[in-house]
Amino acid sequence: MSAGVTEVLPTGGGSLEFLDVGGDIAARSPLQLFWRRFRQDRVALISLGFIVFLIIIAIAAPLVVSILGLPGPYVQNLNLTDSFGSPLGPTAAHPFGVDQLGEDVMSRVIYGTRVSLEVGMIGTSISTVIGVVVGMLAGFYRGWVDMLLSRFMDIVLSIPILLLGIGLGAACAVRGCVKGVVQPGVTTIIFIICIATWPYVARIVRGLVLSMREREFVEASRALGASDMRIMFREILPNLTAPIIVYASLLIPTNILLEAALSFLGVGVRPPTASWGAMIAQAAPIFNTAWWFMVFPGIALVLTVLAFNLLGDGLQDALNPRNAR
Amino acid sequence: MKSIRSVTAAGLVAGLALLLAACGSSNSSSGSTSSSSSGTSSSASAALSTGGYKSPLTEALTGKTGGTLTVLQEIDFEHLDPGIAYFSVDYAVVFATQRPLYSQKPNGTTATPDMAEGMPEITNGGKTVTVQLKQGIHFSPPVNREVTSEDVAYAIERGANPNVANPYIQSYFKAIEGMPTATGGPIKGIETPNKHEIVFHLSEPKGQLVADALVLPLTAAVPKEYAEKFDKHKPSNYADFQVATGPYMLKNDTEGKVLGIGYVPGKSATLVRNPKWNPKTDYRPAYLNEIDIKIGGTSAVIGRQVLEGTDIVQNESAVAQSAVRLAAEKYKSQLQISPGAGAHYIGVNNKVGPFKNVDVRKALWAALDRQAMDKARGGELVTTVATHFIYPTINGFAQAGGVKGPQGSQFDFNAYPEGNMKVAEKYLKLAGYPSGKYTGNETITVVGSTGSPQEQDAEIVEQTLKSLGFTVKFTLVEASTMYAKYCNVPKEEITVCPSVAWIADFADPQTVLNITFNGTTIVPTGNVNWSQTNVPKINAAMAAAENVVGNEARAKAWAKIDEELVEDAAAVPFDWDKQAGIEGSGVNGVGDLWDVGEWDYSYTSLK
Repeated sequence: MSAGVTEVLPTGGGSLEFLDVGGDIAARSPLQLFWRRFRQDRVALISLGFIVFLIIIAIAAPLVVSILGLPGPYVQNLNLTDSFGSPLGPTAAHPFGVDQLGEDVMSRVIYGTRVSLEVGMIGTSISTVIGVVVGMLAGFYRGWVDMLLSRFMDIVLSIPILLLGIGLGAACAVRGCVKGVVQPGVTTIIFIICIATWPYVARIVRGLVLSMREREFVEASRALGASDMRIMFREILPNLTAPIIVYASLLIPTNILLEAALSFLGVGVRPPTASWGAMIAQAAPIFNTAWWFMVFPGIALVLTVLAFNLLGDGLQDALNPRNAR
Repeated sequence: MKSIRSVTAAGLVAGLALLLAACGSSNSSSGSTSSSSSGTSSSASAALSTGGYKSPLTEALTGKTGGTLTVLQEIDFEHLDPGIAYFSVDYAVVFATQRPLYSQKPNGTTATPDMAEGMPEITNGGKTVTVQLKQGIHFSPPVNREVTSEDVAYAIERGANPNVANPYIQSYFKAIEGMPTATGGPIKGIETPNKHEIVFHLSEPKGQLVADALVLPLTAAVPKEYAEKFDKHKPSNYADFQVATGPYMLKNDTEGKVLGIGYVPGKSATLVRNPKWNPKTDYRPAYLNEIDIKIGGTSAVIGRQVLEGTDIVQNESAVAQSAVRLAAEKYKSQLQISPGAGAHYIGVNNKVGPFKNVDVRKALWAALDRQAMDKARGGELVTTVATHFIYPTINGFAQAGGVKGPQGSQFDFNAYPEGNMKVAEKYLKLAGYPSGKYTGNETITVVGSTGSPQEQDAEIVEQTLKSLGFTVKFTLVEASTMYAKYCNVPKEEITVCPSVAWIADFADPQTVLNITFNGTTIVPTGNVNWSQTNVPKINAAMAAAENVVGNEARAKAWAKIDEELVEDAAAVPFDWDKQAGIEGSGVNGVGDLWDVGEWDYSYTSLK
């Protein structure tokens, strides 16, 4: 048994020389290979750390607010506004200042993390699942199924997301939609995201499945009598994991921004629920006198979106090294 | 009174805005018979206080002739046709270009003869109103001829034309014989015995109300032979070819076309002197040579531009809070505060849900921190805590209790502007909730409107409701949607509309209380009786008060109704508005008290 790893090195004369570099031969799983590459990307690592931090903040928001000695996000205190009703700026008790109702901005930024991540992650997860299933069906069956689903995707993709969001947001504003299943607020936003973004995933998956369904391992499965469902979801789908993860990670910040945009336009998450987009909208008319009200939720939004985008890039590089930058 | 349109908070939507009132007006016309009766008490004075900033009540009406004034405004006009106009921003132009039978001087709210020679004569037990017209008033080019009583008759008749669809004609002129079925043609009850006399024959003794309503721009003369062809269009395009009777006219061509010349929608409007205006027939000084109005931008930015500019003013239905603050801190002399700019209250559904119970309504009234709501709206500079419904500058305000509101132990829920949870608990216990908190299982629906400060109003109300134990389904929508789709539609059964606003058409208290709280005015759509108040006793009192003649008597009658509405907690008033106006350093701006402080271009001058 060999005692070490043998690497093949080219020699100057053109022949191959085998060099024993020592150590055990260790097979690496795809996950290990991914992690090995990913951890070399410091920017992506920092982004991942920041996102983990955000998730902790979101889950433990009440605890974090309590530890920081801040009032709750819905505690109104008009004594913290001046005689013109303008909010007071950052102080030791309110590091990010307060809003027009005297609500603590830092507390609301912390709670706003919940909405952004909830919308970003749940919305993306659902739209990704829908997109994967539809894309798989279209790519695998081709023919009229593909034509039907692809044209449907084209139709959905031709709808301007923001206008759709404004329309649905307004229509579902009070009584909700779909017989009350879609309630106003976060649920409506997630509903909008699902409707609007699944075709993007579906198109990518369809393209990949179209090429993959001709590969030998699929032929082999078919020859062994595997059902279509098994081939699609047990043979092909695992091979699509990397691109799906990469695309989903890039979709999350897009959806966070969509939520912020809709909330900014007044058809997204509604007060008093803390949402960064809604906070920025509320701050816009008083930016001259209360910059902090816009700046802090704005920073939170920018950093979060940036973190997800950088993480997505890092994942892409790590999962698909051939396309590395 | 089905056609009065609601106004949104802070004037975002239309409103109208004739505020006639009596109180405090020190410069009312000597010829007026509509003398005020509401404003001499100290509490009324407090409500009219503007914190040392200039106001329409105190500003000088003298000025220097000449110059061009630039006006910046965020929003476009809604209607510049005098037969349709019903918005305070529109009125700034309409009242500079048109002369109704009566109008109001900037610092007063009493009717002053304008095209009329004297005050209206009410005879025949309140069933006949006669008005004599001045001679020597002419239409602007291309019509040029003298105005006659037939032009006034046509102006009113065309208001009933569906192509014109005046929004208030059936509210105030319905008593004219033949008006209910009028569609634009001659109306039986409008008679023109000669060129300078017009007589209104009424089917009911509502002469006082009709006489008071003659200050509305609907009575501004329109030449039939010229306008008829435009009124045949659906909708009428007379506004695009309008002629003027006032000191200014919208710039036009030789054919009279205004559109694209004197008014470019969404962009600009230009007022120039009316060459046919005869100053001897008018009380307006008309100092300016030209008024250039630029439309667009955002209120906060415009406010800063104006404060740093010279021959420039800002014309808005509501100036941005940040601009008001900047003006108050750095440009004090360039800030005008106009009291009596309307009222805000919470519409609570009296018909369905937990607020059917008067004690639950009183609990909400008691718990609400009205001071906090007013602070969120910009503080004392632009608000006064409301304690009842007839607001400052409206006839009957003092009789209704002035600033303090009705007094007595039965009004304890109204005694704490900062909110009092103990009083609220008392009323919830009376309503059958022993814990002093609402423990019913109904989820209440609250629909407010987006934008500041209505959004803050709504959030404070929502928190108050939660503190009382309610489970709240809370939604904010665009102001226009809030009114048109939810709060104005009884079928929607919205429990609470947290910030609705009302501005009177003129200073008579009927214009504040009748359409908004009379059960007979509830309609399926466009309903502005937001609380769906329908108390037979109050309805009957209103029916009786409608026919009362004489301002003093009307003030008392309607103040009594106001008190009954407070006792019934029909809605929860929280703010009597004051409107801020901003001008450049080179302007001697004069605002109209009766038009929520909008600049009066016929009195404003350059320094």
